[in-house]
Amino acid sequence: MARMKFLCDADRCIECNACVTACKNEHEVPWGINRRRVVTINDGKPGERSVSMACMHCTDAPCASVCPVSCFYTTADAVVLHSKDLCIGCGYCFYACPFGAPQYPKTGNFGSRGKMDKCTYCAGGPEADNTSAELEKYGRNRLAEGKLPLCAEMCSTKALLAGDGDIIASIYKERVAKRGYGSGAWGWKVAYKETIAI
Amino acid sequence: MTSDTKKGPDRPDESRRTFLRAGLVGATATAVGAGAVATPAQATENDADKKKARYQESAHVKKYYQTNRY
Repeated sequence: MARMKFLCDADRCIECNACVTACKNEHEVPWGINRRRVVTINDGKPGERSVSMACMHCTDAPCASVCPVSCFYTTADAVVLHSKDLCIGCGYCFYACPFGAPQYPKTGNFGSRGKMDKCTYCAGGPEADNTSAELEKYGRNRLAEGKLPLCAEMCSTKALLAGDGDIIASIYKERVAKRGYGSGAWGWKVAYKETIAI
Repeated sequence: MTSDTKKGPDRPDESRRTFLRAGLVGATATAVGAGAVATPAQATENDADKKKARYQESAHVKKYYQTNRY
């Protein structure tokens, strides 16, 4: 069974934010909610790197572990989704998530946040596939249409990879082997140059 | 003996409880009616359906993988 994963090639990301824009437009995400964002480190300095971040659809998702109403579930293709009908907006998942994926539509008095929203891997939610109810609550269900998340599909430099974890890992491995250097350098020859025989 | 006691003059008049029966029947009918109305609108998938795999290695997805190998 294919396991859906995101992989951002930090050597290719140019911080164009097209993935962020595409996501907001595709799912009609309201103001103040960013299901995806581009994080840049060492901005404007040598060694600057940008990484496009969203929900990483963890295997053992900490958001699901802390949810008091068990609104999270993992699909057979390893996508972590949640039910907005069950969510009480407590914010525990926001504190548990190491990637800052859970987003809330409100900042009200007494900690009222509204229903949590996050990246769905363009796979909708518990409503029937491609219905107006699903579109309104969770956005488009591209996975059910035989497509992949739009953020990855429209990445201009092909930095953001999405799809079957094994396939995108092999694509990334090919790239790194060809580059022979970089953030995800592969194998002993990179570390020890030509001085080691494999 | 016990049944005789029940049929005695102290036995409460059951007719005054009919409104309770009527209320019960009415509530049941309302619940059934609501259920019948809710069924078509119920768009939520069952547990097995919502967890099923949706990924398909379609021609579209294969093309995506191909373009990412450059």
